[in-house]
Amino acid sequence: MVFTEAKRYFVERRVAERMTATGSGSFASYFARLRSDAGGEIEQFVNAFTVNETYFYREEHQLLCLSKNLLNERTMRRSATDPLRIWSAPCSTGEEPYSIAMWLLENWPAVDAWNIEILGSDIDTRVLEAATTGVYGRRALMRLSEDLIARYFRPAGDERWRLIEDIRGSVAFSPVNLVDDAQMRRFGAFDVIFCRNVLIYFDDASRRAAAENLYAALAPGGFICLGHTESMSRISPLFEVRRFDDAIVYQRPQEAAHG
Amino acid sequence: MPLIRRDPPPPASPPPDSDLLATLADGSAEARFTAARALAGRRDAALALGAALQTEADGRVREAIFGSLVRTGGDEAVKALLPYLRAEDAGLRGGAINALSEIAAVASYLDALLSDADPDVRLLSCELVRRLPPSEATRLLCGLLDRETEANVCTAAAEVLAEVGEPNAEGTLQRCAARFSEHPFLSFAFKAAIARLSARG
Repeated sequence: MVFTEAKRYFVERRVAERMTATGSGSFASYFARLRSDAGGEIEQFVNAFTVNETYFYREEHQLLCLSKNLLNERTMRRSATDPLRIWSAPCSTGEEPYSIAMWLLENWPAVDAWNIEILGSDIDTRVLEAATTGVYGRRALMRLSEDLIARYFRPAGDERWRLIEDIRGSVAFSPVNLVDDAQMRRFGAFDVIFCRNVLIYFDDASRRAAAENLYAALAPGGFICLGHTESMSRISPLFEVRRFDDAIVYQRPQEAAHG
Repeated sequence: MPLIRRDPPPPASPPPDSDLLATLADGSAEARFTAARALAGRRDAALALGAALQTEADGRVREAIFGSLVRTGGDEAVKALLPYLRAEDAGLRGGAINALSEIAAVASYLDALLSDADPDVRLLSCELVRRLPPSEATRLLCGLLDRETEANVCTAAAEVLAEVGEPNAEGTLQRCAARFSEHPFLSFAFKAAIARLSARG
């Protein structure tokens, strides 16, 4: 992650929060704690710096592209016993992987013919706990119709709603660092990866490493969806650009296409 | 419910170390890609990674090799990449420049690269100056401009200087503009660079 001078206040505030939380009387004592990873401080420190605000059905045009184009392409000439695998990384507090699940149930006509695995991952273990719990405020649901909220959520206190068990229980969550190839290797090959609005926070070398890891995590012909301001073409030549009606996505070429 | 949940397996063990170099030389494209990535961070393998670029035809394996050399960093990675600044293959040249520009250790090679006998190497090396601190970038590029005879190299140096240099480079750019006054395009490029430096100063 890269923080420019413009982010100084953000950084100072997060460090001050961690100093208070750990009872460190000075930066030097906090820094010593961080360096020795006392009490798992490195993980807490990373958690404090990640940006976790999102909402259901964000960038809906990509979900539309998923159900109109990407999955149909991925299921051509393929046995229905072979599960479709979709990865949301980073997934923050779960809005994205749960949105994918809801969207497919609502909008992909072939949904009942396939087994679909959805995995959500994030470097921040705190948000993964929240994702598993599946309780959200009004802001996270702002793009959902009242009908969808009624069918997929149950009231859980003042202006809080909990996602129904059927959906919560069908999405797996696991921590991952996108630039760590050893961590990334274990997840296997995905048909579609949503990796939105995270590469912009990396420096060039980390972006390159993450792009390679994402490439390796895709099945040949698999797709990756980035945030609408991001371009894989500026990061790595490994992918081909695919332009669909609703979104531009990037594709791992079929094996024979490299030369 | 068509959604099925499968929790991820525990972390996989890395590929066996001893096989990686052999796989890089004669494995399938997929295996070479995996081996190249697994060799990232191994300084003892940097030269072998660099050598593999000579014969590697698969674009994604090349990219993995460049990426691994960036992650390895240090003199070993720089030495593995430098020969490709002279490659006939534009893809190799471009990949080497991109990778070198991300390796901090290349800074100590720039005096020599900017004095290389080959003007193409001098021209490409201007790009490598871009990430240095402004004072060091200014010293190197002004030194180059004061002695450079190739117009294309001067243009590349002026372009980088305009973006990352310090205002004290203006004198050098003016001398260069006078030296190449018979080339209207170069005069324009130097004047543009001076204007950008002045605007920042």
